[in-house]
Amino acid sequence: MRKTLATVIKEWILFRRDIAGLLLLFIMPAILIIVMALVQDAPFRDYQEMRFDLLIADNDQGSLAQQIKAGLRQSKNFHLVDSVDGKPLSEENLKQLLQKGKYKVGIVIPKGATAEVANSANIIANDLSKKLGLGSTLPAREHRGNTYIHMYFDPVSKPTFRTSIHFALDKFITAACSNELISRVSKLSKLQNDSTADTKNGDFGKVFEGVGLKEEPLNDKASYTKHMNSVQHNVPAWAIFGIFFIVIPIGGHIIREREEGSALRIELIPRAHISVAFGKIVFYTLVCTLQFIVMCCIGVWIMPLINLPSLGLGLHPLALLPMAMATGFAATAYGYFVGTLFKTTNQALPFGAISVVIFSAMGGIWVPIELLSPAMQKVALLSPMHWALDGVHNLILRDGNLGDILQNIVFLLCFGLCLWLVSIYKYNKRGHSIQ
Amino acid sequence: MPFAIEIHDLHKQYKGSWSPALDGLSLYVKKNQIVGLLGPNGAGKTTSINILCGLVEPDEGSAKIYGHNCGKDTLAIRGMTGVVPQQIALFANLTAWENFYYIGRLYGIDDKKIRERSNMLLERLGLDKHADKRIGRYSGGMKRRANIIASLLHEPRLLILDEPTAGVDVQSRAMILNFLKEYHSRGNTILYTSHLMEEAEQICDEVAIIDEGKFVVGGSPKELVSNTAGCRRLEDVFLHYTGHSVRD
Repeated sequence: MRKTLATVIKEWILFRRDIAGLLLLFIMPAILIIVMALVQDAPFRDYQEMRFDLLIADNDQGSLAQQIKAGLRQSKNFHLVDSVDGKPLSEENLKQLLQKGKYKVGIVIPKGATAEVANSANIIANDLSKKLGLGSTLPAREHRGNTYIHMYFDPVSKPTFRTSIHFALDKFITAACSNELISRVSKLSKLQNDSTADTKNGDFGKVFEGVGLKEEPLNDKASYTKHMNSVQHNVPAWAIFGIFFIVIPIGGHIIREREEGSALRIELIPRAHISVAFGKIVFYTLVCTLQFIVMCCIGVWIMPLINLPSLGLGLHPLALLPMAMATGFAATAYGYFVGTLFKTTNQALPFGAISVVIFSAMGGIWVPIELLSPAMQKVALLSPMHWALDGVHNLILRDGNLGDILQNIVFLLCFGLCLWLVSIYKYNKRGHSIQ
Repeated sequence: MPFAIEIHDLHKQYKGSWSPALDGLSLYVKKNQIVGLLGPNGAGKTTSINILCGLVEPDEGSAKIYGHNCGKDTLAIRGMTGVVPQQIALFANLTAWENFYYIGRLYGIDDKKIRERSNMLLERLGLDKHADKRIGRYSGGMKRRANIIASLLHEPRLLILDEPTAGVDVQSRAMILNFLKEYHSRGNTILYTSHLMEEAEQICDEVAIIDEGKFVVGGSPKELVSNTAGCRRLEDVFLHYTGHSVRD
């Protein structure tokens, strides 16, 4: 134990003397998480959270158009643009603006849409009246063909964006149509002098208040639950990536010690090698843990300063500590492995760097694993970064506790232990000799 | 047991090598002697040291230090042997004192003893004023002296040095040689390799000349000079037995 402690102290002295290296070890991942969180902020935002300029050409000028516009105006997602340069938008103007890419989406309410909806509502109301034996009828005619509300998109828009907007607009149009229907049924009732049928709430939304879809948190601690966003993904993801990049300094450090001869000195001391190796692992695992803590602090306190959401640490933030330590152990052991496996820094450093990038791509660091193909989702299980990120997500998104991340920790420890044992075997097999 | 080192019929050939590094080398070093292991490049000096330290396994033959088999009792041997490799086996970014403290700790020596021993050796080898300087900033001679100190912290009975004065100035060399004599005078054994014949002549009780992995001739420098016809210096004896052809 004294030998291990001596190694930790020695590593600390070497570490603090390399101020530039020390700063890079903390500053570069910090820059990485900030840049990645900023870059991926927009793609991560749900479309429901965003506010779009919506072009609207109202050729109808009827109650249906009024209802749709009122609904859209109340919505947090749309900002209605129905005139440009003081002139009401025409269908042609709308198309031109979208074609130029100045706006993303527009709708055209065709002439006679209100009349057509009213006619349809009258037909349904009359049908109901007939079935209920009310006797009264509203004027109705045959359908006059299609009077669809047309949607237009900027050609650059992604399919997911189109689908989201489509659903959101559809909701308002359905509500407007339903309101029309209710008002017709209400009118029929009045014709029948049935006061009980008088609908006080002519608005469809109010009629169905308390009915429909409402998202609820999975646990009873709704005050906490965080949703996936750019910060919740990027801060832990790139912090883990940064932790694994410690492979480069560790690998280089081990090869340098071998080249400069200090590894030979250790070899000549009885029973020193294992203690020294363990000391290195302990020290760098602590460095990685500290690195993760610093990145989390940046997520919590610095991100809101640059208009990004604050990082939520879950209901059991202390459980992040063993998670970070297990990740640090896996990364350190991997660095030790790379340093032992290769003879020169020219071999070790490119391998270390590229393998970390591959592990990160496989493990869902760049894009959430849910977006990968089913085959790649299986491949991701081979990446220690996936286990690390999944464990952190269990804590900060799924409100998990230590029990929920045990499997992740065990995997990371096994990964690290296997590599460390292979490194020691390789080290002993290669041996050192006086040159 | 009169011998500190017993090397018997050692054979070693490295993978991919055309000729053996050791080809039946036998050598015996008595206790409390300074013995110079001399030979041209590729004679097998460093391989012999590697085998003695348990860093390399011989293909055949045996090597013993104070009766302990070098291949099997590695831990015991490393505990009683101090090895000064030719390369500076120290941490360049640590000060001399930090290096010695760390190495002493790894040997399991307590802090007080590390301090006492380091201070004594630093003073003796003229590095006491530079103990807080990083090894990387030392001159070549200072590095060599620090390298020797690091190998002596655990007070070994046998000191093996591989060209300890290579590339150092006259003053540093004199200091190192005086120190080795003093260390020997305290009852310790020293095995020492060098290409500098006058240095061996100056400090060795006996020298062993090896070539092409075999023992060629041995004895005290004076005996060897007087017993070899036409030789006035040890260098003449060396050239007489190993020839004038350049070795690669």
